[in-house]
Amino acid sequence: MAQSSIATTGFVIPPGQDPVSVFEKHRAELLRSRLVMNITLIVLFLALLIVSVIISRFYPERLWNGLPRIFEYFGTVMPSLEADKLFEGRAENGKAVPGSLLFWYSDIGKYVRLLFETILMAITATMLGVALAFVLSFPAARNLALTRWSNILARRTAEVFRGVPEIVIALVLVFAVGIGPLAGVIAIAIHTAGALGKLFSEVNENASMRPVEGVRSVGGNWFAEMRFGVVPQVLPNFVSYALLRFEINVRASSIVGFVGAGGIGQELNHTISFYNDDRVMAVLILIVLLVTTIDLISERVRTRLIGRENLI
Amino acid sequence: MLEITQLTKAFGPNKAVDNITLSVPQGQMVGVIGRSGAGKSTLLRMVNRLAEPTDGKILFGGREVTALRGRALYAWRAECAMVFQQFNLVGRMSVINNVLMGRIFHHGFATAMLQIFGPEERALAIRALDRLGMAHTALQRAETLSGGQMQRVAIARALVQQPKLMLADEPIASLDPLNAKVVMDALRTINREDGITVLANLHTLDTARTYCDRIVGLMEGRVVFDGTPDQLTDRQAREIYGAEADDAFSEGVTSTSLRPAQPVRALEGAE
Amino acid sequence: MSDATLQHPRPMQVTASDIADLRQRFPDAFGNRRRQATSALLWTVAIGYLLWSLWYFEFDKLFNFNERATRMFSEFFIWGDMSGWDYVGIYQGLAETIAMAFLGTLLGSIAALLIAFFAARNTMPQPIIRHGVRRFLDLLRGIDSLIWALVFVRAVGLGPLAGVLSIFVSDAGTLSKLYSEAIENVDRKQIEGVRASGASPAKSIRFGYLPQIAPVFISLSLYSFESSVRSATILGIVGAGGIGKVLVDRFRAGFFDQVAFVVINILICVFVLDWLSGKVRAHFIGEKPH
Repeated sequence: MAQSSIATTGFVIPPGQDPVSVFEKHRAELLRSRLVMNITLIVLFLALLIVSVIISRFYPERLWNGLPRIFEYFGTVMPSLEADKLFEGRAENGKAVPGSLLFWYSDIGKYVRLLFETILMAITATMLGVALAFVLSFPAARNLALTRWSNILARRTAEVFRGVPEIVIALVLVFAVGIGPLAGVIAIAIHTAGALGKLFSEVNENASMRPVEGVRSVGGNWFAEMRFGVVPQVLPNFVSYALLRFEINVRASSIVGFVGAGGIGQELNHTISFYNDDRVMAVLILIVLLVTTIDLISERVRTRLIGRENLI
Repeated sequence: MLEITQLTKAFGPNKAVDNITLSVPQGQMVGVIGRSGAGKSTLLRMVNRLAEPTDGKILFGGREVTALRGRALYAWRAECAMVFQQFNLVGRMSVINNVLMGRIFHHGFATAMLQIFGPEERALAIRALDRLGMAHTALQRAETLSGGQMQRVAIARALVQQPKLMLADEPIASLDPLNAKVVMDALRTINREDGITVLANLHTLDTARTYCDRIVGLMEGRVVFDGTPDQLTDRQAREIYGAEADDAFSEGVTSTSLRPAQPVRALEGAE
Repeated sequence: MSDATLQHPRPMQVTASDIADLRQRFPDAFGNRRRQATSALLWTVAIGYLLWSLWYFEFDKLFNFNERATRMFSEFFIWGDMSGWDYVGIYQGLAETIAMAFLGTLLGSIAALLIAFFAARNTMPQPIIRHGVRRFLDLLRGIDSLIWALVFVRAVGLGPLAGVLSIFVSDAGTLSKLYSEAIENVDRKQIEGVRASGASPAKSIRFGYLPQIAPVFISLSLYSFESSVRSATILGIVGAGGIGKVLVDRFRAGFFDQVAFVVINILICVFVLDWLSGKVRAHFIGEKPH
């Protein structure tokens, strides 16, 4: 095996030399250079490991002391359900019976409202972000930009939007526009515009220029070239990327609430910080259900959309 | 009247088109021949302003095409239709919408973007398709068509531009002989019936001889022959084509049994 | 010259009767009413929803932000005196972030190395266990690392330990799934080739499996490290250590110019680490299995 792969990498035997000794020499050189690189990497790796352990104070005894507390904590947030009372309604005094599902999810009305808000946030943010990414993606594509400057400007904008995590944007916006879902929506929309703007522009760069030239040759301006030369080619890809992004945004909108930017995350943060009981688990389960359900639906839609794209 | 004066296009030190001067009267069918890389494509693309000349002028009906900017430039491109070797259609759009692209210049931003075309334009598009025997495919997607069909759709698109001049850049180089004949016949018919000037790059000599009123031979960006097909001797042709001569003489629409210039309608069942 | 030259062009025209005739012959070419209506309805619903949701989210708040906000945005761009800034704290935070991501990914990779074999079809033929493991991994991945961080901060206290654990958990989930897919994609023919030459089971793992999966595993872990660095930068927002903590502290204290500085440093750091990890990946991928 080794022999054949060396032969294919341009291994030439100089005339008048013994092929075996030349081969051995070449092989030894190859092995030595690989060995040097591997040792360097291993040393770097170990150094990084030691430095990391020291910086983050990740010592075995800390981990050892921490582990039982993790299990302890998960024990406290587990619901104490009792099989015989599981489906019991409210008692005469209007209070739910401890041990019943109703008692565990006594705040279900609030949770449902927040889940609804989370989904709306994700949808609106995705729509706004996709629209902005769409606009950015044409000047950001090297083959389509009208001028070099608009290209650079569009690319840099997308990079900055994408580079700053949405929760940091949300933090800033909560300060600016106040606590509530608006900050979350705009933060996620900005991050989406950056992430999709880059992906969309890459799709645009791979588009065939022939239809573009066709539209140019009939007297179409730049907008007509984009609308008819590029968009029909790239739209299916855009739609599938946008749906994938929607899945990601549902996750994002369930956490931006940690900084007060609306959605179910706000409630999770609240319950974890102030209560030490089964309500934490109740909210966590809802978030997991939300995320997995949206993933499943979105996957269905994506597979259905492939093949029938009369959206143009 | 198309007047090209001292037109030059340089890519670095190489001159793709070198000081060409040419005058084409309205209604003429001109075949431009030459080997690959002789500058045929560049010449045509400069007439349509898809390529910018380095030097020289192009005039059409007294208007200086090479000086046009902005909307006047788009107006010129709308007036000067172009047919490409690779058709340059929008594959994922319907045939009729592809043809209607030829009207795009006459629309404002909103109606263009939303593809709102009036009944006259739609009727014009269908008639253009009908002339090329393609009306039955109007609602199909362009990408479902064969190469020959696509080129006919591209010619229909050119027709609805209501052009005065039609450029054809190697229109039959990607087609089989039968489709090549259909396409060349169509160009000839348009030239005869509509009085549209046709300027076609043709790789094969026999096609040019059979269909064109006038042949212009290019070599290394310069005009080395300009005259009627009868004036072009075999020796001159061999010189123009050089090493590619055998190729050019044997390929494409060469069979003498295929006679040109029947109305295209008669060929509807050709596919 | 033939008779056809020197003519005036007569481009195609249509008359009213042509239009009526063609409309009858090709009705659909004049626009399909149903399709137009469907598309108009879709657009109306989408735009209507967008406007309604913006109203629901109180979009108008965007236009009346207060003086504090104006001051904040201006300080993002116009920095004050930079000499008094706590650079040590900032870069310690960055180093802590990278350390958290590194340790979390490393532990996650080690865990994934064990779990993946229970989730791959060819190494775990028992479907009940395999599906159980896979659902468990879905659960780990389904919860964002920031949520894990929140939970772990509550469990083990503030600091980078919670950060490492949260990255460990979400990376273990992601990497186990990816590793198991890599194991399923192993080319059987190569292993049979090794076996046919008389290798023992241990040797067939060493020469059959390992050369095929090791580069893939390393490359997946490196990708995972890149994404972990990104998530680690924000874990401090919930108290799990790293640069996020520095960022939030500066923000709460109103040092907005320092916030901008920290964000720029995060961007540079992420960019450099992506580049480095790409180099290392190229080294392992470029090295063809022998």
